[in-house]
Amino acid sequence: MAKKVAIIGVGMQKFEFRKEETVEEMIFDVTRNALENCHLSKEDIEAVVYGSAVDAFCGIHNSDKIAIDASGGLLRPTMRNSTSGSTAISTPILGYTHVASGLYNLVMVICFEKMSENVAAQAVFSTVYDEAFVRPIGLNVPIQCGLEARGYLHRYGLTERQMAKVSVKNRGNALSNPYAQLPMKLTVDDVLSSPYLAWPVKRLDTAPVTDGARAVVLASEDVAKELTDDPVWIRGVGRGADSVWFMGRRNYDLGRLDYAYLAAKQAYDMAGIQNPMTEIDYAEVYDPFTYKEMQHCEALGLCPEGGAGRMIDEGISLKEGALPVNASGGLQGEGNPIGAGMSRLCWCYLQIKGQAGACQVPKTVNIAVANAWGGMFQYNAVMVIGRD
Amino acid sequence: MENRVCIVGIGLVESAQSIFELSHKELLFYSTRKALDDAGLERKDIGGAITSSYDFLEGRSLSNQFTLDSIGGVMKPCDLRLGEDGIYSLFAGYMEVMADPSKFVVVASVQKASERDSEGLGYQKLIAASMEPVFSRPVCNSIPNLLGLEPVLAAMEARAFMERSGLKEEQLARVAVKNFNNANSGREKSAINLKAVLESELFSWPIRQLTRAKEADAACTLILASEKKVRAMAQSPVFIRGIGWCSDQSHLAFRQQGLARETKWATHQAYKMAGIQRPDKEINLAEVSDWYAHRELMHCEALGFCNLGEIGSCIADGVFEKEGPLPVNVSGGLLGRGNAIGTSGLTRAAQVALQIRGQANGYQVPGVEVGLAHSWSGIPTATAGVAVLSKW
Repeated sequence: MAKKVAIIGVGMQKFEFRKEETVEEMIFDVTRNALENCHLSKEDIEAVVYGSAVDAFCGIHNSDKIAIDASGGLLRPTMRNSTSGSTAISTPILGYTHVASGLYNLVMVICFEKMSENVAAQAVFSTVYDEAFVRPIGLNVPIQCGLEARGYLHRYGLTERQMAKVSVKNRGNALSNPYAQLPMKLTVDDVLSSPYLAWPVKRLDTAPVTDGARAVVLASEDVAKELTDDPVWIRGVGRGADSVWFMGRRNYDLGRLDYAYLAAKQAYDMAGIQNPMTEIDYAEVYDPFTYKEMQHCEALGLCPEGGAGRMIDEGISLKEGALPVNASGGLQGEGNPIGAGMSRLCWCYLQIKGQAGACQVPKTVNIAVANAWGGMFQYNAVMVIGRD
Repeated sequence: MENRVCIVGIGLVESAQSIFELSHKELLFYSTRKALDDAGLERKDIGGAITSSYDFLEGRSLSNQFTLDSIGGVMKPCDLRLGEDGIYSLFAGYMEVMADPSKFVVVASVQKASERDSEGLGYQKLIAASMEPVFSRPVCNSIPNLLGLEPVLAAMEARAFMERSGLKEEQLARVAVKNFNNANSGREKSAINLKAVLESELFSWPIRQLTRAKEADAACTLILASEKKVRAMAQSPVFIRGIGWCSDQSHLAFRQQGLARETKWATHQAYKMAGIQRPDKEINLAEVSDWYAHRELMHCEALGFCNLGEIGSCIADGVFEKEGPLPVNVSGGLLGRGNAIGTSGLTRAAQVALQIRGQANGYQVPGVEVGLAHSWSGIPTATAGVAVLSKW
């Protein structure tokens, strides 16, 4: 029987296009912030779990290994996870199993990415494509996502205008987020007239390249109850990945994220949630591109399948809406340092605790869901957290 | 006792020669198929899949997404990809099963040295790339030929260890001879004797060609399950009694050389879990990282197999030989079988499990009930993991 696991605090720092700090310093900074927020010292940490998607960005092989001392991992068990963009949530899930297995009582989870230490992030990204079959096509991430966006819009009859509304919402929300890289006051027309990166994806549909880190502290039930009378439990976890050979999948329609529905179902089953649309109070959903927020809202059951256009049209996902999504600004507004997309989870925690500052949504938040996505249209990880 | 975790399937693909006709994805498919057959399971039974690989070694980012198909992980509830030594996939798999005892979890790793420039500058640049760029990497500029980077770093720690222990080069060489002979078990005696080792090409004293493991191709898959699921299994399951892993200081400049602290601390955790108090008496057999000959001895000390001052007499008395009281690297280890970097960590566990099952054909040690698998992540890391396995 799995042990109950709580999030007892988070570590935050500003996301920027180029941080002056080294990888090590970034990690030190966010670890220290997390320890301060939890009123703990590094001696209390029993194990450290790292998440970072692509070492090639910072050019350091096993980049976690240079930050052992900086993260409280000295002479501790440390483990590094890397599952593409979904690292942001699969890493805290790995942290979760550290505690749920009964092996550890207090675990520091650190996700980080330094994307600025190279000439061009997109060029580095090209190293994720299979050299024999896929690289010759000339894919890059915007083109890859243009393909997927096209499939999605076509399948459900959704529009670029609806995508644009997500950008306006999220970048506007980011104006309240002190850690955000690119808060912007935009109109739908601003977004629609921004240049295409790969139709139908435009520049203002696309999250920026970012440096940054996030930390989350996990504790077993006993320790959590000693440290706080209002623990936020990890209620459900889910993971699912489809074949990297996207051309040969049973469902070759990129518009429907079968693996995301799978991951969400696992998480909701574990959490005992049957109707997420009514039972989830708040969501931070992975939005490296605006249409991804829409796809993920559907896969996470926050709106009916194909209903994400209506969700944004009717203002349901606005900060004051019935089911707010990405009041922090999401990746669009806050920035996307791939692994450190764990920020989605951090903001869910802060919203539940009422500590989200100017981003705080007006309604009461008891249960929230966060997800992350990545790879060759491939991998989704989902986490549901909240009070009992 | 609560649910314990067992190894219920083993699939190992190793080759003395480079494997050119199969891709790493295919190799991993075969080792997974073998493990499934061994366990009497099918792809539909897999509840989770975990791999471990190093992007820079693979030459592609997000490298693990490419092997998901090979391990039956597509559209499965669990999928983790670690950027660690292969033995870590065993640890992560253990925790998955403990958190959800209803799952069969596949843990796997593959490495093909034959697809890379393993003897040349490429590998050395990888070592340089793992060093912290501002303060540590510049040390590479003081080495006249970058081809010598890794041997120089290995030599530094070997010399520190020799000074601590008083051991001589000849004693280190005996480790190599032992492991080469073990790798040839059942066949004609290895041509590699003490003289051959001591006269092999010198990289940086005392690191020689024959005291430094050559790279190899291999794939390894293990299937883990909770003991509750194991009742009706075909093969006798092997218990994972204790696991531990640890990282020491990031920066070479601050580390105490010649002392495998990370192994010592990882072992402490594993023995505590396994209830081992006298490892020198309670461990029947061990597979230990012998990436360099001196490292096997450093690790034996850190694992508690002997004290620092006793290593010399252990070597002289053949304590770690195949017929000795605590055989180490009966499979031949990394020196004898080659080092499929990363994957070899998981292979160590597979080798110990085979011994416990009595299935180590040609190199079986009689009566192995408790075995230890150990792996170190190599120069310039200070990261190691240990697993204590035991008979059902």
